[in-house]
Amino acid sequence: MLKTLIVILLSSVLVNNYVLSRFLGICPFLGVSKKLDQATGMGIAVTAVMLLATAVTWPIQYFILDKVGLGYMQTIVFILVIAALVQMLELLLKRFSPSLHKGLGVYLPLITTNCAVLGVAINNITDGYNFLESMVNSLGVGLGFLLAMVLFSGLRSRIDETNIPKPFKGLASTLIAASFISLAFMGFAGIVDNIFG
Amino acid sequence: MMKNNNLSVLLKGLIKENPVFVLILGTCPTLATTTNVTGAFGMGIAALVVLVCSNILISLLRKIIPDSVRIPCYIVVIAGFVTIVQMVVHAFFPSLYDMLGVYLPLITVNCIILGRAEMFASKNTVGKSALDGIGMGLGFTLALLAMSTIREVFGAASFAGVAIPFLEPYKIEFLTKAPGGMLVFGCMIALVYIITKGKAPKKTSFSCAACPNAANCLTGCSDAPDAETEKGDA
Amino acid sequence: MKKSVLSTLTLVGICAVMAILLALTNFITAPIIKQNQEAAANKALLEVMPNGEKFEKVEFDAETLPKTVTEVYKEKNGGYVITLTTTGYNSGLVIMCGINADGTVSGAVCLASQETLGKEKTYGDEFVGKKSAEVDATDTISGATKTTTAYRNAIKDAINASIILGGGTVDIRSEEEILLDNLLAALPAGEGKFTNLFIAEVISGIDAVYTADNGTGSVYVIGDEFYGVPTGGTSDNENVAAAHAVLSASTVEDIDLSAFEGLPKRLVSAKVTATGNYILEVEGAGFGIMNDEEYIHSSGEYIIVRVSITPDGKIIDTLTVYQAESEGIGDACAKESFYGQFDGKTEETYKDIDAISGATYTTNGYLKAIENAFAALKVLKGGNE
Repeated sequence: MLKTLIVILLSSVLVNNYVLSRFLGICPFLGVSKKLDQATGMGIAVTAVMLLATAVTWPIQYFILDKVGLGYMQTIVFILVIAALVQMLELLLKRFSPSLHKGLGVYLPLITTNCAVLGVAINNITDGYNFLESMVNSLGVGLGFLLAMVLFSGLRSRIDETNIPKPFKGLASTLIAASFISLAFMGFAGIVDNIFG
Repeated sequence: MMKNNNLSVLLKGLIKENPVFVLILGTCPTLATTTNVTGAFGMGIAALVVLVCSNILISLLRKIIPDSVRIPCYIVVIAGFVTIVQMVVHAFFPSLYDMLGVYLPLITVNCIILGRAEMFASKNTVGKSALDGIGMGLGFTLALLAMSTIREVFGAASFAGVAIPFLEPYKIEFLTKAPGGMLVFGCMIALVYIITKGKAPKKTSFSCAACPNAANCLTGCSDAPDAETEKGDA
Repeated sequence: MKKSVLSTLTLVGICAVMAILLALTNFITAPIIKQNQEAAANKALLEVMPNGEKFEKVEFDAETLPKTVTEVYKEKNGGYVITLTTTGYNSGLVIMCGINADGTVSGAVCLASQETLGKEKTYGDEFVGKKSAEVDATDTISGATKTTTAYRNAIKDAINASIILGGGTVDIRSEEEILLDNLLAALPAGEGKFTNLFIAEVISGIDAVYTADNGTGSVYVIGDEFYGVPTGGTSDNENVAAAHAVLSASTVEDIDLSAFEGLPKRLVSAKVTATGNYILEVEGAGFGIMNDEEYIHSSGEYIIVRVSITPDGKIIDTLTVYQAESEGIGDACAKESFYGQFDGKTEETYKDIDAISGATYTTNGYLKAIENAFAALKVLKGGNE
C-alpha cells in the first residue's frame, strides 16, 4: 500500500512530470518562471489548488455523477468546481490572511484555466485511483510542477542575459531550454521503475 | 468592402495572427498531440468545432449575459461544447478518442477559445464570430499539422500512419518524445518570427487580455523585450 | 441586489441549456459508444472463439474454480472464454482460452508474458480442437519446458473451469494438494505436514515413505494406495508392516555432521540406514559458479543431489532434489534419464556418463556433487570404524 503510494508520488513528480513530459500547464510554466520567487509562489498555489480540487472533484465524480448516471457532465462540472474553488480560496485568503494573499493571491486567478489542474482531476478518475491515491497523485503533480518551475527559473535568468540571435530571443530559446530539461527528466523513468519495479 | 472585411476576419487567423506560432496560445495541445499527423488533425478539427460553436452561441447571447458573470458563462458554454465533441468523437472515432485521451476534455481550458469568446464573439455579430472561429480554428489546425508533419515524418518515418520506407534508416526518434516537441516548437516560433520579420501583432491588442492567464502569458511572448513594458499595461 | 440575482439566474439558465444539449447528445451517442466498446471487447474474445455469437461476462466464486482463472465470459451457445494468469518460467503468463460447449478448445492466445524465449505467443494454436485428455500430447515448445507445462496446465484449468461452470464437478486441486489430501486421509493425525523421506529405495515393495512432521506416524505408498501407520502401530499389509517395523527400529538415523572432521563443505546432510547404506545430500556448483566457490553470475545456484550409496562405495540410487539451471537444461538434468546414469557406478566409474549436451557447467556440477558424496563417504566410514 505504502509502496504503491510512493511509486505514484515519485512517478508523478519525476517520470510523468506534467509540465515536462505531458505538456500540461505549459502556459504558466513559460510565463511565470522568470523569477525564482514568482515561480515558487505559482508552484505552491497550483499545488494547493490541485489538492483542493481533487478533494472535491473525486467525491463528486464517484458519489454524485456516477450514481445518477451523469458521467458525461464531468468536464463541465469539474471546470466550474475548480473556478469556484479558486474564487473561494482567493476570498478566504484575502479575508483571513492578507499577507499570504499578497504572496499567492495574484497567481490564483491564473490557475482556473491552468490545464494541469483540470488535467489532474480528470486523470485521477480515468486512471482509477482511489481517494488516497488521487490525493497523493495530485500532490506529486503539484510538486512536480513546482520543481519544474523552480529549476527552470534559474536557467531562464541566465538565458536572458546571453546574446542569442534575435529570432530565438524570448520564447523560442525558452522552449529549447525546456526541451533539454525535459530530456533530462526522461532519465528518471528507468530509475523509478527499477527501484520499485 | 463588407465582403473584404469578412474575408480578412477569416484569413487573419491563418498566418498573420496564427494563434499558435504568433500569439502563442494553446501550447499544451500543440506540444502534446503533434506526435502524429492523425492525432494533430483530429485535435485541430475538434478545437475548430468547439471554437465555432462557442463563438456563435456566445455571440447570440452577448446581449443577455451580464458582465459580472460572463467568464463563468463562457466557461460553461465552452465546456458544454467540448463535452459534446468528446461524446461524438468517442462514438464515431473511437481510435482518435483513445489517441487524444485527456487532451480532448482539456480543450475547455485552451486559451484560444476563451480568448476569442471574450475578445471577439462578445463584441461582434453572429456571422463574423463564426468566420472568426473558422479562421482561428483553421490556423490552429494548420499549426498543429505543420508541427506534427515535422515530428512524424522525421521522427517516426511515416505520415498519418503510412510508412515512408526511405526515411526509415534516418529517423530521429527523439522528435516524437516530449523534449523533441518543445525543440520543434521553439524552432518554429523562431522561423515564424523571421518570416513575419517580428511584426506580429502584440498580444494585449489582440485576444490574450481576456484569458485569465493573460498576465503571465505576456511574459512568454515571442518578443520578450517588449513584453516587459506591456506587462505594466495589462 | 436585483442585478446579482439576474446574473445568477442567467448563469443557471445557460447551465441548464448546456445540460439539455449534453443530455441530447448523450442520448444519441451513448448507445453507439456502448456498442463500440462491446465490439472491441468481443474482438479479443472472438479471436479464441471464432464461431462465438454473444458473450456475457460471468461473475464466479473464486473458491470453486482453479486458482489461475481470472475472468470468465459465457458464450450464447454454451461455450466459455476464460482468462487465466499462471507462472511459466516467470510469473505473469496470461492466457485467454475459448472452450466450446462440447469441452474442446476453440482457441487460445497469450495476452501477456515475461517468458525468455517468447515462443509462447503462437503456442495456443496447438490446442485448437483438443480435449482435456489430449492437452498433454501437444508438441512442446522446444527448450521451454516450464512454459509448455504452465501453458498446458492453464488450458486444462480452463477446460475444468468450463465443466464446473456448466454444473459438473472436477478435481481442481494441484498435484501437491492431492498428495497432501491423500496423506491426510491415510493419517489424519499428521495435521497437514509431511516430509518425504526418500528412502523408499532401501525398503523393498514400497514406492514412497512420508513421515508426519509432528511424529504421529508414517504413510507408506504402494502404487495408488496410501497406508497410514501411527507410530508404534502396525498394518495389515505385509510390505507396509515390514517397512514400518524397519523404520520404527530407527532404521534411518541422522548423522551428526559436527562429529566429523574433514567432511566436504558441500555435504548438506547424511543419514545411515540399518543395512549400513548411506543417504547423502550433496551440492554441486550449477551454472554461474566457478570452481565450486566463485560466483561469476549472481543467479548461480547449487544443485542438490541425493545419493544413496553402499558402504563399499557403490551408488544405489540418485535423485535431483533441487536445481535452478537455465530453462531447457534444468529440465534435462532433472530427468531420471540423466541422473539415473549414476546408479550402480563407483568412484572409479562415475565419470563415465553421457553429458547433457550444451551444458558443460551443469554436467560438471553433477560430477562434483557425486565426487563430494564419495569424499563424504570416506570420512563418515572412517568415523564409524
